Amino acid sequence: MVPRVHAPLIFTLVLLLLLIVSLVVGGRLLQTIVTTSFQNAEGIRGSRMLAAHVINEQLDEETGIRGYAAVHQAILLEPYYEGRSSFPSSVSRLRRALQERHQTQALLTLDDAVYVNRRWEEHVAAPSRSTKPGNSYLALHGKWLIDRFRIDMVRIDTLLAQEEARGDARAEAAILWIGIFAAAAVVIVVLATVLFSIQQYSLGLRLEGERVAREAEKRIADTLQEAFLQRVFPTLAAVSFSATYLPATEEAKVGGDWYDALQLSANRVLLAIGDVTGHGIEAAIAMNRARQLLIGSALLDPDPRRMLERVNRQLVQEDGTLITAIAGVIDTSTYEFAYATAGHPPPVLYEPDGRARLLEVGGMPLGLAAGTVYRTQRLQTVAGAMIVLYTDGLIEHSRDIAAGEAELLAAVDAVATQPQADAAAAIRDRIFGSREIADDVAILTIRFADARSGGARAGQVDDSTFTVGIEAGKLSAPGPSAFWRIA
Amino acid sequence: MNLGDPPIYTIRLSGELEIGRKNEIREALQVSEDSGAVLLDLGEVTYADSIALTELLRFCVGAQRDGLPVALVIRTPQFARLVEYAGLASAFKIFNDRAAAVEYLAECLRR
Repeated sequence: MVPRVHAPLIFTLVLLLLLIVSLVVGGRLLQTIVTTSFQNAEGIRGSRMLAAHVINEQLDEETGIRGYAAVHQAILLEPYYEGRSSFPSSVSRLRRALQERHQTQALLTLDDAVYVNRRWEEHVAAPSRSTKPGNSYLALHGKWLIDRFRIDMVRIDTLLAQEEARGDARAEAAILWIGIFAAAAVVIVVLATVLFSIQQYSLGLRLEGERVAREAEKRIADTLQEAFLQRVFPTLAAVSFSATYLPATEEAKVGGDWYDALQLSANRVLLAIGDVTGHGIEAAIAMNRARQLLIGSALLDPDPRRMLERVNRQLVQEDGTLITAIAGVIDTSTYEFAYATAGHPPPVLYEPDGRARLLEVGGMPLGLAAGTVYRTQRLQTVAGAMIVLYTDGLIEHSRDIAAGEAELLAAVDAVATQPQADAAAAIRDRIFGSREIADDVAILTIRFADARSGGARAGQVDDSTFTVGIEAGKLSAPGPSAFWRIA
Repeated sequence: MNLGDPPIYTIRLSGELEIGRKNEIREALQVSEDSGAVLLDLGEVTYADSIALTELLRFCVGAQRDGLPVALVIRTPQFARLVEYAGLASAFKIFNDRAAAVEYLAECLRR
């Protein structure tokens, strides 16, 4: 259950972490691109301004020469000298700027412009300063050279403008991609959140479903167990019964234990206790099947060994569910107890002149092997004796069987000497107190009436009276069908 | 582990056998094809719950059904008691000494 919750959570956290890292890196990238683009644009603008300077200086030179050529006044040469003095430094600054920008084409054009300027100086400016005014050839040639110079400079400016445009386009594309990335990141986060929510919701639904199913199973198993448990015991003057069933505290462990006490004839009572391997509804159903088989078998032939053998054969044929059980028969007229065990913990026998003891066991569980042979043990008990049948949870709760057995024998000793009505509940309380029960526990006690007590003596019961004895504590008015319900 | 010829197949389990070790127990309870007899050494087992006992019982019954002599070594009194309850002693030979178990199986194989 835990990994189902954790896997998507870890996945989502990792995803979010990756997205945060990506967004931080993306942001830094965007910042770098914008800064670079801005610096680039600044540099290009500076270069274009330098180019404009160079043009202006050439135009200043030309203005000076043209003015002087027209009127031959020395003062008009001033712009020429100004332009001439700053032109070389402007050109070299522009060249450096173009070299920095790797503008090969513009550098070649600049070389051409400088060459044009030198030719203009040699063939137009110098002759104009020394010839008479109105030399139309010089004016024409000068105009042609200046046009060529201007074309060169415009070309340089165009090349720089193109570079600026390319830089802008690159920056725009980068910003666009970062925007797309950010949008994708947001979409992924939203999708992951939605998926995670859906997953958590369906997990919640499933867990709730499983919880409901578990509860339903527990309820059904409890109900079945409850329905199967015997509440009404044979009422005989010579013998009294008590029983208790404790469902396991853990809900998955309910089911599978049972006990029976069924009158076969005036003096004979069938005793049975059993435990189906496994828990839940299946175990409860298997338990009921085994129980019916055992009762049927007892009605056919009440020899404990043969009862178990018949049930075993049937169970092996059916499905192989393993069941541990004890089948026994008591004779209230002779105090005889005959029983056979099938993989089940031993019965406890208490007799008034001694201490409680464990009886012999033998025989493998029912439903294991078709040919399993069981053995009937016959014991002669006495008035006042108590037989206790139980399921393994009573002695195996601590995993120390020896300690469990000792605890049980001590509890039986203590309870058997008291005239308690509900001996089974008293044994249960002595052993468990308020402890939690890990496995189901069933206890069935059979107590022969004490010869000294005023009750009907064994051997004196006849067929007409066997249903009127009232047992297990609080007496209610005797009657032909008066039963005491234990709860 | 196989000893002798035909081989005695030995399976050893120890500690507390319970539902949590069901797969491990199932894996351990496998017999190789050429085995002539099975020695189930449970000398160091101190406890087995009903699920583990069921596995052991089914294994022993299965081996016996396949015609393999089976001997068990059980030493701890607590586990011996559980095995007694389970009725294993009524159908299988149980020893508290490994050498005696091997000797018994070897005798079975000679016969």
